[in-house]
Amino acid sequence: MPATEVARKDVSPRRLQWLTATVNDVIDETPRTRTLVLDVPEWPGHRAGQHVDVRLTGDDGYQAQRSYSIASAPEDTRLMLTVERIEDGEVSPYLAGDVQAGDQFELRGPIGGYFVWTAALGGPLFLVAGGSGVVPLMAMLRHRAVARSNAQTVLLYSSRTQEDIIYRAQLDELAATGDGLKVVHTLTREKPAGWTGGTRRIDRAMLSEFGFPLSTKPHMFICGPTPLVESAARALSALGHEPARIKTERFGPTGG
Amino acid sequence: MSVDHGIGDTSLALDGNAAAGLMRELFAFDITTARLTCDGCGTVSEVATARVYGGTMGAILRCAHCDLVVIRLAKTPAGYFLDMQGARQVFVAR
Repeated sequence: MPATEVARKDVSPRRLQWLTATVNDVIDETPRTRTLVLDVPEWPGHRAGQHVDVRLTGDDGYQAQRSYSIASAPEDTRLMLTVERIEDGEVSPYLAGDVQAGDQFELRGPIGGYFVWTAALGGPLFLVAGGSGVVPLMAMLRHRAVARSNAQTVLLYSSRTQEDIIYRAQLDELAATGDGLKVVHTLTREKPAGWTGGTRRIDRAMLSEFGFPLSTKPHMFICGPTPLVESAARALSALGHEPARIKTERFGPTGG
Repeated sequence: MSVDHGIGDTSLALDGNAAAGLMRELFAFDITTARLTCDGCGTVSEVATARVYGGTMGAILRCAHCDLVVIRLAKTPAGYFLDMQGARQVFVAR
């Protein structure tokens, strides 16, 4: 098929529209990440795991656009994004730094129907996160809790240091309810006194130890930096899991 | 998630999700969940599993199995250019 020129006319009503988001609250999660709690009056709703595009427009008309995973459950009244500050980034220094309640910006979504889990899919559910890759998985865990799903679930979550763990207290709370969620942390750059979690990168041994047996046909979602995602997906596949059940979402290392 | 990175370094490749917003400008449905047959190796896989280079103004999607370019999409002030030479077939579930 030769290159096709596609006219912009005849815009379908189903096409994504840019919507105005108003910042209702800003929550510090870690020294490098903040959660933006947003009012988006025209928000059409989403499923856990989807993302949005955020567009910022400067006074001179210059526009910068980035994608961010949705952190809130579909059932939550407000849309939440958790943003990691990338030094020298164009968008994240504002969203994870200067932004204040009352500020407005544009977003569109929800985007992506592939990296999605709904309670109706059931479990077991094996979630593997690196750094801010935990954000879409947190939306799944929040949805799981609100939907009162008791799907057996494990979150294996790699952070650099203890203070870089996003949602630490909330994850503890969710895991304490005894509804079948287990959270396993691993740290790659420090080994604090009294630390009982893992102290190395996520590897095949860890995935085998904390994951579910092949016979249970778990749903697997991996999100994080590209090297982590690729090695974890490869290891799970080598352990014998069906590739179609291993869903991945890679984060670019730069840009922000 | 960032969609801003260099082109040509596989370590910087993202997956089909990264171009989902751009492709959603063009298609009236979510093409990331469509099943695409690669013209190079015949593998059938969801568009979301392709390796993506680019994302906001243009994107190149390569087959995750054989690296063939399956979708090229560029956005210009005049319009969108779409090249799907590497896609033998695209199946969209109703």
